[in-house]
Amino acid sequence: MKVSLQVNKKMVEIDVPPKKSLLDILRDDLGLIGTKKGCGKGECGACTVIFNGKRVNSCLVPALQLDGSKIITIEGLKNWSAFPMIEKAYIEHGAVQCGFCITGFVISTISLFVETSLPITNEQIKWSLGGNLCRCTGYTKIFEAVYDISNQIDTVQLIKRDWHNEFNN
Amino acid sequence: MNLTTDDTKKIFRPQNIDQLDDIINRTREKLTYVAGATDLMLQDEQWNSAEFLLDLTSVRELNTIDFMQDKGILIGSALPVSQIITNSLVQKNFQILIEACRQIGSVQIQNRATLGGNIANASPAGDSLPALNVLDSELWIGPRKNGKFTKSKVSQVMTGAGQNNLKLNSYIATIFIPFQKLEDQFWYFRKLGQRHTLAISKLSLAVLGWKKDQRIEEIRICAGSVSPLVKRAFRTEALLNHQILTENLIESARDALIKEIQPITDIRSTDTYRRLICGEILREMLYDLMK
Repeated sequence: MKVSLQVNKKMVEIDVPPKKSLLDILRDDLGLIGTKKGCGKGECGACTVIFNGKRVNSCLVPALQLDGSKIITIEGLKNWSAFPMIEKAYIEHGAVQCGFCITGFVISTISLFVETSLPITNEQIKWSLGGNLCRCTGYTKIFEAVYDISNQIDTVQLIKRDWHNEFNN
Repeated sequence: MNLTTDDTKKIFRPQNIDQLDDIINRTREKLTYVAGATDLMLQDEQWNSAEFLLDLTSVRELNTIDFMQDKGILIGSALPVSQIITNSLVQKNFQILIEACRQIGSVQIQNRATLGGNIANASPAGDSLPALNVLDSELWIGPRKNGKFTKSKVSQVMTGAGQNNLKLNSYIATIFIPFQKLEDQFWYFRKLGQRHTLAISKLSLAVLGWKKDQRIEEIRICAGSVSPLVKRAFRTEALLNHQILTENLIESARDALIKEIQPITDIRSTDTYRRLICGEILREMLYDLMK
C-alpha cells in the first residue's frame, strides 16, 4: 500500500506492505538507521521514536496506520537547538557505552521534559526511562545525565521550545 | 489514503462510527481490528494470517473521553491509555483506573495501548481488568442495531485466557464507567511483577469500597493473573460487607481470598506464591484501612 507521511519534517511517499513495522520502514525503506532494532517486541525501547507527538516503540506501529502521520527520529532531533546540551550531558556522565540503546533513551529524555513540569523528581525520571533497557551502564550514568539536564532550566526550556516549533508549525 | 488495488478491499480506515458500521454490514469476511497493536503485532499467528485489517484508531468516536451528567464517563475503546491517565475527569473520579493504566508496559506502550485492546485480548494478566471490574464498568459493543449498542460487563465478555465471546466482526466501542460515590471511599491497587515497568504481572489486586467509622459498607475485590478469568472475589467480599474491621475479620478475609482464587504455575510465578501473596496483599490493605 502507498502511504504518505512526514519524517523529520520531510514528506515521503512509500509503497510498503500494510503489516510492515514503522521501525523496519525507517531502517530499510528510508535508510534512517539511527533508530535501532533491539527486541522487536516493544520491550527494550531501542526503537523509540516520536509518532504524532508521542513517543512509541516503532516496532509496534504497523504501516497501515502511518498515512498522514508525523514522525521524528534521532536524525531529526540532531537539528534541535537543545540537542548539543543533551549530547554533552550524556557524554560527561559516561552514559553511553556500546550506544545501541542511546537513541531510544535520548527520545525518552526529551519526552520526559515535555510530559512533566519542573521540578522533576528522581522517581519521575526513573519511571519515564523505565521503557528503555540498557545492558551496559547499569542505568546509573544515564540517570545522572538526565538528572543533570533536569537541573539546567535553560536546556529544559529549549527542549520545550524545540518541541513546540516541531509540532505547532 | 492511496491503496493499491489489491489492498483497497482489505485495509480499512473508517473516519467515523457510521462508516465503521457500514463496512461491517457489507463485509462477510473476518475483520481483524487494529487499535494500539501492542499485543496484536506480537501474536504472530493471528497477525500473519489476518487478511482484512480495520484500523480503529482512525474512528473519531472511539478516540474520545466523554461524560454523561450524573451517570459516568465514556472512554473510547481505541484511545491510548496515556490519555486516560492525563484526563482530569478520570483523575478526579477514578484514581484506581489511573493507577492500573500506569502499570501497563511503559510510557511508550501507554501511548499506544488501549482499554479496548486490553479487554478484547482477554489476558488474565491484563492490567486494567481488575480496576475496570471493581468499577463495575460496562462495554458498549458495536455494530449498532437500530442505532443501539449491545451492552455487556467486562467480566461477561472474557470467557477464558485469551478468549472472548465477541461475535464475528463485533467490536468494543466504548467503556462506560459509572461515577462512584467519592465520600467515604477507599481504594487500593497493587501489581507484582519482576520490575516496575515492562513487566507482565505475577498478580495484581484491585480493591474499591466505602467505609464509615470502622464499618465496611461495601467492598469490591478483584485479583488479576490468579485465575483464567479476571473476576470479582464475591465470597471474600460477602465476608467483609457490612462488617466492622477487626483483626479476626482481616485474617478470615485473607484465608477466604486464598481459597477463592485459582492461580496456576507458569513462567512468571507459581500457584503457591500467587495464592499466599495475594492473601497477604489483601491483609496489608485491610490493616492499612483499619488504621
